[in-house]
Amino acid sequence: MGTQGRLSVAGNAFYSVLSTHYSFVMQHFAERILSLDRRFIFVLIGVVTLLPLLYPVGFPIRISPEVQRVYDYIEQLPVGSTILVSFDYDPGSKAEIQPMTIALLNHVFGRKLKVIGLTLWDTGTSMAESVLAQVAQELGQIQGQDYVYLGYAPGEANAILSMGQDVYAAFPTDYYGTPTPTIPIMQGVRSLRDIPYVFSLSSGFPGLDTWYVYGKEKYGFELGGGSVAVSVPKYYPLLNTGQIHGLLGGLRGAAEYETLLQRPGKATAGMDAQSATHFLIIVLIVGCNIFYFLSGQLRRRSA
Amino acid sequence: MTFWKQTLPVALSFLVGLTFILQYYIPHPVSEAVLSEASVWNQIIYGFAIILGVGSLLQVHYVKVKRQEAGWGYSGVMFLSMLIMLGAGLWSEGKAEGTPFGWLYTYVFVALQSTMFSLLAFFIASAAYRAFRARSLEATVLLLTAIIVMAGRVPLGEYLLASLGPVSDWIMNVPNTAAQRAILIGVSLGGIATSIKIIFGIERAYLGGSED
Repeated sequence: MGTQGRLSVAGNAFYSVLSTHYSFVMQHFAERILSLDRRFIFVLIGVVTLLPLLYPVGFPIRISPEVQRVYDYIEQLPVGSTILVSFDYDPGSKAEIQPMTIALLNHVFGRKLKVIGLTLWDTGTSMAESVLAQVAQELGQIQGQDYVYLGYAPGEANAILSMGQDVYAAFPTDYYGTPTPTIPIMQGVRSLRDIPYVFSLSSGFPGLDTWYVYGKEKYGFELGGGSVAVSVPKYYPLLNTGQIHGLLGGLRGAAEYETLLQRPGKATAGMDAQSATHFLIIVLIVGCNIFYFLSGQLRRRSA
Repeated sequence: MTFWKQTLPVALSFLVGLTFILQYYIPHPVSEAVLSEASVWNQIIYGFAIILGVGSLLQVHYVKVKRQEAGWGYSGVMFLSMLIMLGAGLWSEGKAEGTPFGWLYTYVFVALQSTMFSLLAFFIASAAYRAFRARSLEATVLLLTAIIVMAGRVPLGEYLLASLGPVSDWIMNVPNTAAQRAILIGVSLGGIATSIKIIFGIERAYLGGSED
């Protein structure tokens, strides 16, 4: 074997060692990435959520048809109409639902519509009262005349049936203890049949679908709703058949509503953070899959 | 004993179940009056069910504390929290505005529950990173769909690629609706079948204990 041959053998051996070493290092690296400490992901999520809140970008927000329909419906209701808002959520979903509650109440009070508020969730009773009273106070609405808060209705679906039959029996007094029949806004409202529009701000059961099954079907009012993003997919069959006429889905739905009202609030402010977090999760998933394939290939090659 | 534990509950289920099925299809004033009365009764029964629920919760945690099972300290915290909240509620006569009960609700309960829900964002991200892998064709389809919907539902996605929004809407309106509708129909049929079985006394698991 000449000098050239020896060099070639040495080169091949070196390449083989390098390639094996590279494969080993890469496989080790891929496996390390795949078993990344979850605290690292937690920190990333925290930072990516916080930064856009501190330094907002303000990407344009497209209005989806289901949100537009809620806005349009409220716009066409005659001034002085009474609508029922059911605050079917608890503090767990406050961050997601409260912005749409505020946006909706701003719109409704701005249009001089009257609001009957209640909740089917016992853990949300005080929270619903404070948000309704706060928005009403900001817009100069008078309790008892422009709005009323009936409080918590026990019985879930049965509470809806009970209101459908006789509101005064379901709520003998409002949240503050005033007898319901003596409240000016409740004059002439004996049943859900006397209310043209119900809006359920829903975080689960009982919520929007309960209002549809036990309320709209039997008492004939129009129904719209807002929901936490995770529950939005299950409402699409109801939307497509017109069983609910519109839907505000999660923080995005609230941001769209704020855009329609030209009143940017907490939902609009949260959109940049949500954008960044979604994209971080996408990057993590794609990255994880790349390393998943890489580690599989390298393992097969080394075997 | 069999009469009280089995015969009477099954007979009541049959009677009440059948009455309210018929009531739904008979819009007569008498039938409506029956529904009005029954719905008030149901609300009262629901109130007692809450008492039963609280009783059951206390019993479970009492046993844990008594036997000093793993994590019994948390049961102790539950007792303490319940006592404090109950005491504050009674002291404040159930009113929230400017009372200790309202303070505890706003600054402890609301804060704790919001925190628990917020933690989901962190755990979902971590779980998605570990579990969302293209191991099969179905998993790959799910993965791609999830990425499109996640990107299309936020303004940044639509800003980067305008068609992401409409594509995401299509996924929600067509394939998602089809799947949700199938689930809905299946669940509804299952619910109807179970209700019929309960009304006719075939399904008795709700009575608890043995079947004899």
